[in-house]
Amino acid sequence: MWAAFRAVFAAIFADRAAALLLFGAPILYAVLYPSAYSGELVVDAPVVVVDLDRSGASRDLVRRTASVSQVQLVASLTSAREAESWLAADKASAAVIIPEGYARAIAEGRSGEVMLVGSGAHLLRSSSALTGIGAALASTAREAAFDQARAAGPAAPPALNLVTRPLFNTREGYGAAVFPGVAFIIVHQSLLLGLALLAGTARERLGAPLSVTPAQFAGLGLAASTIAMAQVCWFAGFVFWWQDYPRGAAPLWQVLAGASLFVAATAALVLLLASLFRTRERPLQLGLGISLPLFFLSGLTWPAAATPQPLVWLARLFPTTPGLEVMVGLNQMGGTLADYAGALANLAVLALAFGALAFWKWTSPQPLRSPFLAGSRQAGA
Amino acid sequence: MSFARRLGKSFRREAAFLARNPWDLALLTWLPLVLCGLIAWQLSAGVVRDLPVALVDAERSALSRDIAIRIEGAPGLRLASTVTDMGEAEALARAGAVEAIVLVPPEATRRAFAGQGQITLYVNAAHSAASSTIQRDMAAIIAAANAREAVEQIAAVSPPGSVRPAPVKVTSVIAFNAPASQEQQLVSLLHPALLHILFMLAVVSAFGRELRDATVAAWQPDRAALAGKAALYVLAFMAWGAMMTAYLAGFRGWAMAGGPLLLMAGYFAMFAAYAGVSLLLLGLTRCMSQSLSLTGLYAGASFAFAGAIFPVDQASGFARVWAEVLPFTHFARLLAMDWITGAPAAAAAAPLMPLGLIAVVTAVPGMWLYLRAAERPQDWGRR
Repeated sequence: MWAAFRAVFAAIFADRAAALLLFGAPILYAVLYPSAYSGELVVDAPVVVVDLDRSGASRDLVRRTASVSQVQLVASLTSAREAESWLAADKASAAVIIPEGYARAIAEGRSGEVMLVGSGAHLLRSSSALTGIGAALASTAREAAFDQARAAGPAAPPALNLVTRPLFNTREGYGAAVFPGVAFIIVHQSLLLGLALLAGTARERLGAPLSVTPAQFAGLGLAASTIAMAQVCWFAGFVFWWQDYPRGAAPLWQVLAGASLFVAATAALVLLLASLFRTRERPLQLGLGISLPLFFLSGLTWPAAATPQPLVWLARLFPTTPGLEVMVGLNQMGGTLADYAGALANLAVLALAFGALAFWKWTSPQPLRSPFLAGSRQAGA
Repeated sequence: MSFARRLGKSFRREAAFLARNPWDLALLTWLPLVLCGLIAWQLSAGVVRDLPVALVDAERSALSRDIAIRIEGAPGLRLASTVTDMGEAEALARAGAVEAIVLVPPEATRRAFAGQGQITLYVNAAHSAASSTIQRDMAAIIAAANAREAVEQIAAVSPPGSVRPAPVKVTSVIAFNAPASQEQQLVSLLHPALLHILFMLAVVSAFGRELRDATVAAWQPDRAALAGKAALYVLAFMAWGAMMTAYLAGFRGWAMAGGPLLLMAGYFAMFAAYAGVSLLLLGLTRCMSQSLSLTGLYAGASFAFAGAIFPVDQASGFARVWAEVLPFTHFARLLAMDWITGAPAAAAAAPLMPLGLIAVVTAVPGMWLYLRAAERPQDWGRR
């Protein structure tokens, strides 16, 4: 068993492409991916303003809008049509339009109307700009109420106030919401592509299906699990801390227990798939494209409630779906293992089923000495 | 032999190879179909509906019942459970049984009469699509509850004339995408995001395979032959681009604000740029497996950098530069202007320039390096 275990590592170190996939990719992606979200929160979304009222009250509203942190006023325009062309050319994310008669309506005790237009081309950016402007308008509204009160006596304040708080991702950053899940897709893809590449190479050299003894198979499984666990520790233990993402919400032993099941299911699936490839480069050709669908199927950004039911079941066949649920839950949401009993059972079933299939594929028809191991020993020596 | 004939010969040679090798053919036939189909099906709900919400009813009053009924009636929400304890609701949220928690605190009614009622909404920010729907619907529910309260309750106890509409009324609209559908925004971007990765894998494989198997010796490529081989993949993937566009714009009804011709020009320029990058990677490494690994690194994260969902203008300097050297970023800009906002053609076509630039800057040295490797047997067979 230990010979097989060592042989896997020897093979990796002798193969530049495999080493890049298994050890290089997690390091490079840990730098590359979070950098895309290094802004974290939307600030300074470009906004244009159209003030058709040209009154003291409307100028005050423009001034307040300009001071919102999510907003950068890029232009003051003269017509709604002009604002639309700015939005269309993607030069602005949102427009504030103050129609004529705004100040008079407030003075007469009616509602002064303001129109906010967000660009449909960038839903996230325009909605945070609109939220920011909305907050600025609320403070304007309070002052406007004060002005009205002088003329008509105090108005009844709104009875209920809605306060929105983030549930788990307390920083509400996009990177903090996405990367803690993406990391486990990276682990899955890195292990799948790296080990399938090695297995494909070995089978190509042998010219026949690979075959190992049960003890050697255990060594392969242990090696795969060790690499996956090292990657999980790298992301959950170091990268989340380094990027200052929410982390370590559950006790360490629970995170490790959840990670072990994810690692076991992933390693089992990877060994099964690795046994199917006959050419070294084939897993890269076919496997690199599935990362994006895997991420969406996992339900991290697109809720399962909005996913067609057959796809929800299909998604349960990949270790990444229950794996992300468990790991994001334990690391970021402060859940306990008991909260994820269903997902943990899912992972256990996948680990057993894929493990059994992989065992059958790798150990039949007869336990030959695999040149995968012999060849890599030579190369590693 | 003329340029065109050598190009055609190389094109037919590649087509014959694909006809014999189903796994290479898969990369431009059923794999794009399955992957694009999965994404299209999953996001076909578009506007998120019936998201499960837990109500923490610490008061058990007419007010909390009113809010419960309104949650049931909201198009985006579904009242999954009513509990009395916040801890219970949090457990439901952690287990994924609910997407949000609405807290009606004790004495909410009494405080509402004093104008200080507070309802707290806890949303799971990781689900950005879901949480924006929930926030929008809850804001509408509270506004409606306020209007009712104002008329029925407060008017009865307040001095006459004091119940007036709010002094500033805000109307928010989303231009160009009125239902704020995530389907149009996400699927229109995810399809080219998938297609460009598959395209690059297919092109790197097609050119890398000739060096790996030393078949360059028989092929004897020149620039016409390179163009002929690449043309087959550009055509195949442009056909997929056209088909996915027809699905979303025609079948799903997300009509294009601009024209399909500009979008197809964008697809062409994007694929030309990725073909250039593919040749450059192969020319530099002269190794198929390493070029494929680098493809994963270069094209694998493009979706995050495109700035279409989360803006990259606030990201670090490195991220902004990296975004600019990814052809997908420029294609995403073109797509947003041509498909969604309907910008004037001159503005919408502007991203074609950087795409062309990337294509030239990578293809010229890439071709030179690749053709040089094609003449050096010591560069063949590298794994």
